Amino acid sequence: MSLTEMQGYAFFFFTIFLVVILYGYILHLYKSEKDGVRDYEKYGKMALDDELTDKPIEENPKETNEKKEK
Amino acid sequence: MQSNTALEYDYSVAKLYMWTTVIFGIVGMTIGVLIAAQLAFPELNYLMGEYGTFSRLRPLHTNVVIYGFTLSGIMASFYYSAPRVLKVSMGELPLINALAKFQFVAYLVAATGMVISLGMGITANKEYAQMEWPLDVLIVVYWVIWGINMFALIGARREKALYISLWYYIACFLGVAMLYLFNNMEVPTLFFSGGLGAWYHSVSMYAGTNDALVQWWWGHNAVAFVFTVPIIALIYYFLPKESGQAVYSYKLSLLSFWGLMFVYLWAGGHHLLWSTVPDWMQTMGSIFSVVLILPSWGSAINMLLTMKGEWNQLTENPLIKFMVLASTFYMLSTLEGPIQAVKSVNAIAHFTDWIPGHVHDGVLGWVAFMIFAALMHMSTRVFKREIYSKSLLEAQFWIQTTGVVLYFTSMWIAGITQGMMWRAVDEYGNLMYSFIDTVTVLHPYYTIRAIGGLLFLIGVFMFAYNLYKTATAGRKLENEPQFRSPMA
Amino acid sequence: MFHWLEKNPFLFSVGVFIVIAFAGLIEILPNFAEAARPIKGLKPYTVLELAGKEVYKKDNCIACHSQLIRPFKAETDRYGQYSLSGEYAYDRPFLWGSKRTGPDLHRVGNYRTSDWHANHMWDPKSVVPTSIMPAYKHQFKNIADTETAYAEAVTVKRVFNTPYGPEIAPSKEAYEKYYKEKLLPEAKKIAKEMKNKEVEAMVNQGKVPEIVALIAYLNRLK
Repeated sequence: MSLTEMQGYAFFFFTIFLVVILYGYILHLYKSEKDGVRDYEKYGKMALDDELTDKPIEENPKETNEKKEK
Repeated sequence: MQSNTALEYDYSVAKLYMWTTVIFGIVGMTIGVLIAAQLAFPELNYLMGEYGTFSRLRPLHTNVVIYGFTLSGIMASFYYSAPRVLKVSMGELPLINALAKFQFVAYLVAATGMVISLGMGITANKEYAQMEWPLDVLIVVYWVIWGINMFALIGARREKALYISLWYYIACFLGVAMLYLFNNMEVPTLFFSGGLGAWYHSVSMYAGTNDALVQWWWGHNAVAFVFTVPIIALIYYFLPKESGQAVYSYKLSLLSFWGLMFVYLWAGGHHLLWSTVPDWMQTMGSIFSVVLILPSWGSAINMLLTMKGEWNQLTENPLIKFMVLASTFYMLSTLEGPIQAVKSVNAIAHFTDWIPGHVHDGVLGWVAFMIFAALMHMSTRVFKREIYSKSLLEAQFWIQTTGVVLYFTSMWIAGITQGMMWRAVDEYGNLMYSFIDTVTVLHPYYTIRAIGGLLFLIGVFMFAYNLYKTATAGRKLENEPQFRSPMA
Repeated sequence: MFHWLEKNPFLFSVGVFIVIAFAGLIEILPNFAEAARPIKGLKPYTVLELAGKEVYKKDNCIACHSQLIRPFKAETDRYGQYSLSGEYAYDRPFLWGSKRTGPDLHRVGNYRTSDWHANHMWDPKSVVPTSIMPAYKHQFKNIADTETAYAEAVTVKRVFNTPYGPEIAPSKEAYEKYYKEKLLPEAKKIAKEMKNKEVEAMVNQGKVPEIVALIAYLNRLK
């Protein structure tokens, strides 16, 4: 098998792989919202409530731990 | 963290970049207007001896607006908005704050070196990668520091999730790093010639067709990762914040992101249609350019729909005007690009003025408008003052919009006219026009284009004045405004 | 399933990098060796021609002139045989350009003479009355940087095995010898063809102005 052929196959399968992932991702986004696992739209609020005093949408755990130590 | 009562966002780095944005904008666009005028009135080539010809000034124009104006605008917005969406102030990380200031100094040194060396004609002569190797090294250092700062900020964040703008900033960092390194692989002659000749001279690592391929892989994706990706980062932050409306569909923004990342890189081949690169690569470039419409429009439509139910803001707030028009121009140029990438259209369009026309409806209408809006929005927070003049902002908007429209319409006509004339044959199959015929016919369009550019430049001066006045004479604000930027 | 990607900046960066690097790997790498092969009989640039290429780069001729003839009848009628990949094998960097404000130059050596170029570069309007190209009079005064051009020849010989003879060697003496024996005679021939007394006098004094090198390069484009 020549390099060009290999490159052709590699391209083909990797593209299929990425397409599957992309569709899986779409599915994942909508499914997790429907099942109530995670509401992605709330992340849009990050740009709006961005004062230092605003409550984060999701606390960074490191931060929470530090607070607990205090 | 300490219980810091007066903890505030530290905008000192953002502020520095705001001013360089304005200064480089004025310099780069003034040169742009001059060289546009030179094409219509060639006598203007002799204003500065050998340093004033069109050919010598053109790389100065492109490099100053890309790496001066646009990059400054991106950095200003990054150092302003990234800490905000991460909810961590630059002031909390003194080391990173100092490093960011050092990065700014490195930037100034590199930019000055760039202007001087290109002015002198010291150039590696690959478009948008003209700088010779000593400057390339400096730029790599500069870029790495940006990466360190970015990830240090992310490491110290209070907000666990990364906002979509940050995704785009990270992609910008990675993409430019990869492309820039590979495209600028060059061998300094100093090390192999026994010390002969100029010390800064180098030869490209790649030759001929390979060099072309790497160059346009870069050239096209410099557009992707400097003019598109970080500007989307800007609009995803500043439009929601200014309008008080969350992004229409956050899920769509995530999908468009991955789509754009995957598809964009392939499209570079459309700069080399009908050249000596292999056919399948050209076809691939063509196809992916058309596919690219999807993720691009995904972002743009998402932006426009963010304004749903709030369209009244468009008439009330000039900053919203700038941003909505920017996303509209983004849609226009991401549709125009794929059309030009179709092989049969490209046969006419390539090498003509339609290409600069396409570039400029993107960079003037989309990039520059977005940066103006971002800077104005920031100014009310950074200086804690009201925007100096709303009417000046309105006037700027209309003058510049007229300028952009004149620019791209004239270049469309010029490009298609010239492309058709080059290939026109008479009934016996002989060429109908000599080359110079196809140049003289363009004079009126070159004139219109120069006028369009001049209008845009006037707008830039109005902007600079307005920003300066905001910083020094705007009415003082007690608190940071939450959404809409107040203006007098 | 995907959530870890959205929150871990490191894994996220890796993901982005894989996705964007993919295109480059597939498009660029495999054809590298093939595209670098020169066509039969292609000679590397002489040092004078390289110096001319430096002038071409310095005054940034690619801002307005392409060096790529596309395979259309209208183009081959106007400029000659369409361009082949192997013809560019010694072009570092490539100088295809992306805009034709002026005509293509890939085969300009076939249909323009040294004295045409000399007149044209001194005052383009003297040969093309409605030309919008600026005059490049400084090229008649500035001395070409032949030493850097020689350094470039040495570098490509040593790094990329460009087939130069033993006269290209990394030392000052070799350069000076080459300059006297090879470069100056070549320059004198061009200066004579240019029919420009001042340039001829300069070359006879042993100085090579930029215009001579540039014309040597342009004549080589065939």
